[in-house]
Amino acid sequence: MRNPLVKRIPKELAADWHKYAVIILFMVLMIGVISGMYVGHDSMLYSIEKGRTDLNLEDGSFELSHEASPELLAALSTGEKADVRQYFIDEGMEEADAEVADAIEEELNNQVAAGIEDAVREQCEAYGITDEEMIQAQIDTAMEENFEDALEEARNSDEFAEAVEEAYAEAHDAVIEAVDEEWDDIAEEYNLNDESFTPVPVTIFENFYHNEPEDHNNDGEEDGTVRIFRSDSTVDMASFIEGRAPETSSEIAIDRMHADNVGVTIGDTITVGGREYEITGLLSYCNYLTLHESNTDLMFDAFGFDVAMLTPDAFEALTSRTHYSYAFFYETKPADKVEAADFSDSFLKSLITQTLVDDNEIDDYLPEYLRQASNFAPSDIEGDSTGTSILCYILIAVIAFIFAITISNTIDKEASVIGTLRASGYSKDELVVHYMTMPLIVTFVGAIVGNILGYTAFRDVAVNLYYQSYSLPTPKLTWSSIALVKTTVIPLLLMFCINLFVIVKKLQLSPLKFLRHDLTKSKRSKARRIPAWSFMKRFRIRILFQNMPNYAVLIFGVILIELMMCFAFGLPDSLDNYGEKAPEMIFADYQYMLMGYKDSDGNIITTSEETAEEFSSTTLLYPKNHNDSVRSGMGSGGDESVTVYGIVDDSAYVSIPADMDEYHLYASSAFATKFGLKAGDVITLNEEYENKSYEFIVDGIVDYDGGIAVFMNNGNFNSVFGNKADEFSGFFSRNEITDIDDEDIAVVITVEDITKVTAQLNHSMGGIIDVFKYVLIVLAAALIYLLAKIIIERNEHSISMVKILGFRNSEIGSLYIIPTAIVVTIVALISFVVGYFLMIWIFKVFVLQMDGYFAFYMSPLSMVLSVVYLLIGYAFVSIIDFFRIKKIPMDVALKNVE
Amino acid sequence: MAENFLEIKDLRKSFGTGEARQDVLRGMDFTVGKGEFCVLLGPSGSGKSTLLNIIGGIDTPDSGYVSIAGDKLEDMDEKQLTTYRRKHLGYVFQMYNLIPNLNVKENIEVGAYLSDNPLDVEEVLTTLGLQDHKYKYPNQLSGGQQQRVSIGRAVVKNPDILMCDEPTGALDYKTSKEILALIEDCNQKYGTTIIMVTHNEAIKYMADHVVKLRDGVVRHNDINDKKIPASELEW
Repeated sequence: MRNPLVKRIPKELAADWHKYAVIILFMVLMIGVISGMYVGHDSMLYSIEKGRTDLNLEDGSFELSHEASPELLAALSTGEKADVRQYFIDEGMEEADAEVADAIEEELNNQVAAGIEDAVREQCEAYGITDEEMIQAQIDTAMEENFEDALEEARNSDEFAEAVEEAYAEAHDAVIEAVDEEWDDIAEEYNLNDESFTPVPVTIFENFYHNEPEDHNNDGEEDGTVRIFRSDSTVDMASFIEGRAPETSSEIAIDRMHADNVGVTIGDTITVGGREYEITGLLSYCNYLTLHESNTDLMFDAFGFDVAMLTPDAFEALTSRTHYSYAFFYETKPADKVEAADFSDSFLKSLITQTLVDDNEIDDYLPEYLRQASNFAPSDIEGDSTGTSILCYILIAVIAFIFAITISNTIDKEASVIGTLRASGYSKDELVVHYMTMPLIVTFVGAIVGNILGYTAFRDVAVNLYYQSYSLPTPKLTWSSIALVKTTVIPLLLMFCINLFVIVKKLQLSPLKFLRHDLTKSKRSKARRIPAWSFMKRFRIRILFQNMPNYAVLIFGVILIELMMCFAFGLPDSLDNYGEKAPEMIFADYQYMLMGYKDSDGNIITTSEETAEEFSSTTLLYPKNHNDSVRSGMGSGGDESVTVYGIVDDSAYVSIPADMDEYHLYASSAFATKFGLKAGDVITLNEEYENKSYEFIVDGIVDYDGGIAVFMNNGNFNSVFGNKADEFSGFFSRNEITDIDDEDIAVVITVEDITKVTAQLNHSMGGIIDVFKYVLIVLAAALIYLLAKIIIERNEHSISMVKILGFRNSEIGSLYIIPTAIVVTIVALISFVVGYFLMIWIFKVFVLQMDGYFAFYMSPLSMVLSVVYLLIGYAFVSIIDFFRIKKIPMDVALKNVE
Repeated sequence: MAENFLEIKDLRKSFGTGEARQDVLRGMDFTVGKGEFCVLLGPSGSGKSTLLNIIGGIDTPDSGYVSIAGDKLEDMDEKQLTTYRRKHLGYVFQMYNLIPNLNVKENIEVGAYLSDNPLDVEEVLTTLGLQDHKYKYPNQLSGGQQQRVSIGRAVVKNPDILMCDEPTGALDYKTSKEILALIEDCNQKYGTTIIMVTHNEAIKYMADHVVKLRDGVVRHNDINDKKIPASELEW
């Protein structure tokens, strides 16, 4: 026979449907959003990852100033370095030979001419001719008649051969000597004498492009730049989100994100390079997931930059300069990022030397793993998982807590039935199983419905959030096992464990205690004395005392709600705060990063700008706590990127002591706060792709919240990192610097760049935060509803009793609702403080997982609102409570029916 | 008199400590035969409910023992006690303690589920006159009807002993007699041993065995040779 208690479950669900509806809604929303986020992440990452192989994403690319010869491509494919020394010698010899030949010819001519002249003068003298004019005439005639023969004779003479040989040998020696002298510099600069060099064979494909001006509204004004590739390219291909590839010379396919941003779509016409094209497709290039025009751009620009595809004919017809870009693929794929870095290093050596010996020039070189345009989006998406997980754990705790109190409440209510069943022979296990069933069913239903929503509606919410920011390919729905575990198995397991604990503990009591409704383990020995206040006041105080355990639960719940409120309000506030403070966070109005400290002619770059000040910088990694992270590498939360600045003495921009020792530095306040650094601490910073670490002593803190950075004296910087004494990386300046060639500047960071970053952050995260905010407010409302319901339910019997005694509903309302309202108000204020500080702590943990730093901040208005929202929510619940009280029948007390 | 089925030996139990200590049972001895209708009679505070709870295995004595068919309850662990209650006991309380969201029939099935050899639920419903109410919920029934359901839940197990704690305590005269008649029926029809706690003197006349308690000790232990049917009781 099936346990008849099972029949209670559907009835209980039906009877208390509003309570379970709220709980299920709570679960569905929570699990749905989280599952949606995970599935969205995973689908997106899967599509990106799949795109990398399906669309033949390069392992790297290089651009040459002119088209590569077949010989160069063949040589590069081997991955071998060219014999640069021999090249220079050959070049030098050729040049020297030509010079020597010229010199010999000149000398020979001179000598033969002199010989002829001497012979004529000798003859004239013998004939007694003294008239210089006659002599000169004789010389001219002799020259005309004999010069060539004489030259020929001289050339054939042994002396000449000997002299020539001597001259060439001398010249050749000089060439070798000169090359050797120069070679040391070249080899040192490019580390070409590296003995550990291993050639990395590659396959190379043409991937030429044009940068053309784009006029998307055809008003004759240039709106931005569009980078155009051929539609028949077989590498770094695009996937189509909508439409198709161009098929005729007047058709074009452009980036989907850019099209969205500038408001054009399929069927529209845009002007590119002075010609009009009809848009036939919206695409996403696998190597342009974010529209970074240059890899050194601090932030992508989906408004002013676009990537597009033309048919080969249309492409050939473009008149602007062709960018001879080549994509390469390693024959053997690197196993990890460190190996990728080694491969890239080796290939770069090959590229430098081979292009040199082929008389070509490198305009650009970029290994794929460093390409921002293809790596920024996935690492950002991965980073979001951290936030989602934290939210998930907070909410699961909330649900577990709700169930714990709901069940303990049910057990209290059904004490005598439990006592009777136990007395009749029902075992504790059977009752445990019975009471466990409901929360597990509800969790299961919540998880199933939540996951269904997660895989459908909410996934699209998550995906759309990323679509707003990135040029991502169409995501393919992927089965995310982590999402399933985190949103189904973990909540179920948590429910199971918490309920098992609560129920087993509750059912520990003897059947007799249940029969007697004696459910407390300790008995209060003395009644509390209350001053001689008015009766109603004393009554309320009694109710307050009597409901202490319930209020304890309420307090815990309100703290949770306030924590959620602080999260919901604080996150957008923190972002806004960061944006507002950004202008103060930059040392200098302009920060010029140079390509090198010398220009192409080898002269040290200088500027006449008076406020300009040299600085050096490099990026190292600070190891985070590795216990909680399995990922590593860019933006993954594995290690923190630290910008190391070298600051000149008496800097006008960063104030640090001038006399610090070599391995001493100052840390930025952001760095110090994030990792709890203080003066005297020793920190180890590692090179990202080399097995090299440095230990530094922190001498103090620089007030700078804009980034994770450390500052040392420029002299120390150069000696620590093995730079030349006069080397530097760029200039800080209060004014724009106009006298440095653009080609020497890698990137300029201004206040706009910082605010652009925060604007982008707001754009990327704004949507997500809004979703969180509304979900959290709904959850908070649901929670306060459940908590208030519990207080009334527990007092049902007493309320019924006072009704019998003749109390009016309004009086009962004031007896039961006012104490709760007072408690809620006081607790809300206290909980806000607790929630606020808890949030600061949680935020710190959260930021620790990400790269960079920004502090938790709540505006005074948000602080007030977070409490006011809760109180408004409670006011609504009080009205519902009042109706609940009105509905409690008098026979509850009389009939003694459960 | 039937063979000794239930033996209560020098049972003692007290509550509280120090000055608040109250001896509820102060050395209680008696036996009950199999199939007997035994009434434990006594005023409030005489220890009858405590005694019933100890016999039912839901409370334990400080000393002395209860044995059923030779098995001492004190030797049983928690699990064995549960099995003992499950296999041998039926319980009827003054407050019916029905499960509010199960209907009449289902409440009776709650008892049937526990037994290896349950009575037919429909037959029990008929016997208890609950056929017309079997799909009603407890709160749709009168007190007497609820007590019938509670008896049904206990009887359907076909227990060896039916423990009744003031089963008519909350009922009117007429309904009380109907309930008593049902318990009597059960005793006669199924040979169930009945142990009924009551303070109603009149009920002793329908019992085979009357144990009168006062201040925690047995004052009288009488066999009633002239028992009368429940229907003829008057009080």
